[in-house]
Amino acid sequence: MEQLMADLKRQIIEALNLKHLTPAEIGDDQPLFGEGLGLDSIDALELIVLLQQQYKVKIENPQDGPKIFRSVRTIAEFITAHKPA
Amino acid sequence: MTTPRNDPSRVYIRGMGSIAPWRTTADSAVAPAGARLTCQEPVYEDWIDPRLLRRMSRIIRLGVTTGMMALREAQVSMPDGIVMGTGYGCLEDTGSFMTKMVTFREEALNPTPFIQSTHNTIGSQLALLLGCQAYNQTFTQGAFSFEHALLDAVLHVKEDPARTFLAGGADEITDISHALWKRFGVFREDGVRSLAMFKAGHGVLHGEGAASFLLAGTPSATDRATIEGIEMLYKPSHIVLQHRVAQFLAAAGITPADVDVVLAGASGTLHDDALLLELCRTLFSDSSRGFYKHLCGEYPVATAFACWLGADILRTGQVPAGVLQVDAGRTPRYVLVFNQYFGTHYSLILLRSCHATA
Repeated sequence: MEQLMADLKRQIIEALNLKHLTPAEIGDDQPLFGEGLGLDSIDALELIVLLQQQYKVKIENPQDGPKIFRSVRTIAEFITAHKPA
Repeated sequence: MTTPRNDPSRVYIRGMGSIAPWRTTADSAVAPAGARLTCQEPVYEDWIDPRLLRRMSRIIRLGVTTGMMALREAQVSMPDGIVMGTGYGCLEDTGSFMTKMVTFREEALNPTPFIQSTHNTIGSQLALLLGCQAYNQTFTQGAFSFEHALLDAVLHVKEDPARTFLAGGADEITDISHALWKRFGVFREDGVRSLAMFKAGHGVLHGEGAASFLLAGTPSATDRATIEGIEMLYKPSHIVLQHRVAQFLAAAGITPADVDVVLAGASGTLHDDALLLELCRTLFSDSSRGFYKHLCGEYPVATAFACWLGADILRTGQVPAGVLQVDAGRTPRYVLVFNQYFGTHYSLILLRSCHATA
């Protein structure tokens, strides 16, 4: 899980071009949207694509998005639970 | 400093900004060129909110920044319209989007390059940045894109001189676009970027750049120049072009002898330049004549750079030595940008000094 979260932080910075941040500056449980990293709806779409491209994981129910993308830890947990064998 | 007399038939360039391989008329250094001439880029964070900057590709940064430069120079916070021109469009995002379509077999495509691959992204991002909900238009007529954008903005300002309009042009080179152009063999690749380029007749370097202008219908003490006319001709014959140049100048109330400086858009290619150079020699034999594509390279909206250069010449009263081919020693009052693009697209933009008497 720790390695997956570290990979995710690096991939999020690259995919969303957050050049002013380093992986160490993103907390495992820090909110990604709103008052946290301040990501927006286009970033959410980029994260959906990132999960599909890097981990072959699809989000079937859009209603689950806010729960999954709450933090790096919740994304890692979702990937772990849904990654194809 | 006194405020000039208002003339409702005139459109004033109140502010302008340029990002090109050649930075300013005061600094003669051209960007190092290998096989192509690329822009000397500023620190974008000085002009654009870093939160918005992270999503912008290079051409969007180029175009938006020149727009912000023009607005800041003109001290206008909100224009009454934004009109941009681009011949190539947003190539970097288009290339990224298309590559991913192939790589991921048309599944899981990133939204950002798709959204920003359309030609109108530069004008749209400027509007978003400014919160400007006014008229927003992008012209994409190849090598006439900037001329159409400028003409549209001029017409709007003439319709209501109280308006201010932002008009600009932007084009970029990407690795993919350059590789494709290279296959046609139309651009030289030896890195020559001086007036010597025009002697060999081996063509010009592939170039890029962006320039924007804040146009106003009323004069101010700090105006750069006025725009007296814009004309475009596609594949004209010698006789038609000669006639239309004279007609164009007559419509502005002058003759070829009144033009002090001609900035010729020669490309260094004997075949494509022949008509343009002959008319420059015969019609404008008493004018100072110079080139500009050794400074910016060849691209569809190179005339935006030339317009910026012409307006700066009128502002300073000096023609940079690196531009002049023939020096007639005249004080610049009228500058004519006379462009050709691959021997098919010809355009004329006439600029006048704000200090010239009627």
